[in-house]
Amino acid sequence: MPWAKEEDFLELKKKFKDLQIEVKPTITNLHIPKHELIELLKELKQMGYKLFIDHSVVDFPDRSPRFQAFYILYNVDERKRVVVKTWTDGTLPSIEKLWFAGKWAERECYDMFGIQYEGHENLVRAFMWETYQYHPLRKDFPLEGYANEYLPSLNEVMWGENLQGLMNYDRMHTPVPTLEDLEITEKRRLKKKAQLVLNWGPLHPGTHGTMWFLFDLEGERVVQCDVILGQLHRGMEKLAENEMYNQFLVYTDRMDYISALCSNQAWVVAVERLLGIEDLVPEKAKYMRTMMSELQRINSHLLWLGTYALDIGALTIFLYAFKEREKLMDIIEGITGARLTISYPRVGGVRMDLPEGALEVIKAFVKRFPKELKDWETILSRNRVWLRRNVGVGIIQKEDVYFYGLTGAVARGSGVPYDIRKFEPYDAYPWVEFDVPVGENGDVYDRYLVRLEEMRQSLRIIEQCVSKLEKMPKSAPFFAESPDPKKLKLPLDGIGLKVPEGEIYSSGENPRGELGFYIYSTGGVKPYRVKIRPGSMYNLCVYPKLMKDRVIADAVAVLASLDPVVGEIDR
Amino acid sequence: MESLFVQLLVIGIKILVILGVVLGLGAYLTLVERKVAAHIQRRPGPMVVGWHGLLQPLADGLKLITKEDIFPRAGNRFLYNLALVLALVPAVLVFAVVPFGPEFEVFGVKVKPILTDVNVGLLLVFALGSMAVYAIALAGWASNSKYALIGSMRKAGIIVSYEVVITFAVMGPVILAGTLSTYEIVQQQINQKLWYIWLQPIAFVVYMFAMLAETGRVPFDIQEAEAELVTGFTVEYGGIKFGLFPLVEWYVEVLSLSAIAVVLFLGGWSPINIPFLGFIDPLFFLGPLSPFVWFILKVALLFLFVLWLHWTLPRYRIDQITETAWKVMLPLTFVNLVLTAVLAPIVWR
Repeated sequence: MPWAKEEDFLELKKKFKDLQIEVKPTITNLHIPKHELIELLKELKQMGYKLFIDHSVVDFPDRSPRFQAFYILYNVDERKRVVVKTWTDGTLPSIEKLWFAGKWAERECYDMFGIQYEGHENLVRAFMWETYQYHPLRKDFPLEGYANEYLPSLNEVMWGENLQGLMNYDRMHTPVPTLEDLEITEKRRLKKKAQLVLNWGPLHPGTHGTMWFLFDLEGERVVQCDVILGQLHRGMEKLAENEMYNQFLVYTDRMDYISALCSNQAWVVAVERLLGIEDLVPEKAKYMRTMMSELQRINSHLLWLGTYALDIGALTIFLYAFKEREKLMDIIEGITGARLTISYPRVGGVRMDLPEGALEVIKAFVKRFPKELKDWETILSRNRVWLRRNVGVGIIQKEDVYFYGLTGAVARGSGVPYDIRKFEPYDAYPWVEFDVPVGENGDVYDRYLVRLEEMRQSLRIIEQCVSKLEKMPKSAPFFAESPDPKKLKLPLDGIGLKVPEGEIYSSGENPRGELGFYIYSTGGVKPYRVKIRPGSMYNLCVYPKLMKDRVIADAVAVLASLDPVVGEIDR
Repeated sequence: MESLFVQLLVIGIKILVILGVVLGLGAYLTLVERKVAAHIQRRPGPMVVGWHGLLQPLADGLKLITKEDIFPRAGNRFLYNLALVLALVPAVLVFAVVPFGPEFEVFGVKVKPILTDVNVGLLLVFALGSMAVYAIALAGWASNSKYALIGSMRKAGIIVSYEVVITFAVMGPVILAGTLSTYEIVQQQINQKLWYIWLQPIAFVVYMFAMLAETGRVPFDIQEAEAELVTGFTVEYGGIKFGLFPLVEWYVEVLSLSAIAVVLFLGGWSPINIPFLGFIDPLFFLGPLSPFVWFILKVALLFLFVLWLHWTLPRYRIDQITETAWKVMLPLTFVNLVLTAVLAPIVWR
């Protein structure tokens, strides 16, 4: 775990008298009073901790001050991570000047905890509508919400049908937004400057989900643009606080529903690291998890390629890609029993052993797939229409990667070799060989090439995993055994898995960027607070900047190249 | 008196045949397109309704006709419906000047297989072609939807650009033939023993580009652009009204412009040409039917070429399309015009 050491901050200690450095095996915290926070962050940014990872708060209703805010930063050159923490009672200075991504994180905190940010340019709610009264992630907000709105069924209103028996549910519900509420939300987001405001979404084929874009258009040129999120908000973080560690695994499926296995893996590894049992997990399980999540990565990139080509008008590639994707789904289904929401890994290993013949099927796929990939490249990569639509569109500079907190293929397309699989290897990644492709110009075309190359690299990883797994005996364990079952119960179904006090930030390389989990545990079977770092959301936050002064036709190309998944953005 | 009656009868039959063929074929071309697209995409396409989906167009038509007629609340109903008429009528009218074959005689009556052999046939074609822009602009405006409006503005921009280009592109063949009558142009090509594509390759390529642009086919299908604008100007139309626009744009117009391309560049109904030497007809055994078959064959080939492009390529952006028109295509056609003027005496002799 590449956390920063205490000696890295000795210089800072001289400058900031109140700075406290806390080094634990799972995390390195810098505690600072609120008034010195911005100064410290500035200093850290100059020291090289310039990639913004995440920011949120933890709510302690019994304490005063009540909220503990944390800022996770990363030093890409020295591969070190650090967490800055401060206490507050409801106000914080805004970091939007330092990191734009912080602006979105602050919106989310304002939405979920009601933290006021001083100096924030436009503090609006991130997910809920503007007239919503509560702050759902506060500990005093009940899990079931406040049912204070009378909402009878449509049948009851129109035909006076009385609902009987089990159908006779409660008419009182948690509030839902009305059209007026949505209008207020929209107005708060964007002040009209140009000819017309185009509502692009929430339901639109080009948005890859339920995102609501507002384009202020002058002719076809986008003057300004904003996003309204939250159409798919399910309160994952609230749910995580009320579920056991293993139960939350199934919710990670539903976050980035296209790459469920990778999300599962990231969560499982985070919990394992928190428990300190990473080394106990048998080698076979590690190789299996790695192989499966690489299959899922190809699967996810195929969906991206298909929809991306579809957005730019090449319908045929979409069907080609989906044909291959179908085969991958079949492989995954054969091994895990599920196609979309998989939940295959478990804390301590995987759910079940590989079925017979699975490796042969995967080998056949790995052998055939590069030919398909080459075919598609022949159709697209040097196609003049394709080049004109992609080259020079949506350029992200290297500095913007840090400023906007971009990760994943988007960061790599701009020439930042930020890959968690290399930087903080988990599972079998330290033992396999693969390259990290990076782009040069950071335009849409580079991101496209990076993702294509990533599929090839994934194939390499899968090949190595398969050859390793073939050599392993069939009886090799696929689940960890607890060294001391009295102290640490480690069942396959995860019931009774107790996690000691502690906190951790651990992340995995998802196809859509870094998916991180900040887990704060006060002991017991449930986490006290889980902050999910959605790669898609921070990747999306650069979008309004990229779309400035471009036309709508570029909107789809740029959006698809950022490749967001709403399930992960909204959580 | 009798001859007038016969003439009217002949014209009536021609109208019926053309309308039937064009609209019927237009409907069936949807099936062709779906089959071609399916095979390009490695899938079977419609297989359920009839043998290999042969009755699919009927089923589609039935479905579209029986659908609810939806109208946007704040739209303009008159313009909304007028747009449909304006789209369909000029597109079909173009076939009035398409010559399907040489003159023949039935029951002692000489029949030209062309509805009206006016001596400004080509002019009529492009005049009617420009009418399409009204239909689309009206459809976009009357729908009272931002998406429809943007889609129709895009299309209008394209048509304005490519009208100029296509007009200059056909100047070459017109100079070589010395006439604007479509029937005469084909006759000239047969007399001169020369398909004009041999001397006008640039004009042909430009014409094909413009044809794709005007009919909204890939790579110029930005007015539909389902990923950005859903379906552009047809977004507020429903049922058969929605079905008519693609039918007109993608099939009837592609057919008519392909037919004009065949007339201008590929020698109409004449068989395979060896420049300046003569014609070879591998289909001689068909006798008097051979010219008609040749004509249909050529149009079908062009149509399939369009489909092939449609299901392979991505699409351009609006500014790139108009840029291509003004900066590349138009100068090319000028060059072509000069070249033609130099070469024309060889052909005239």
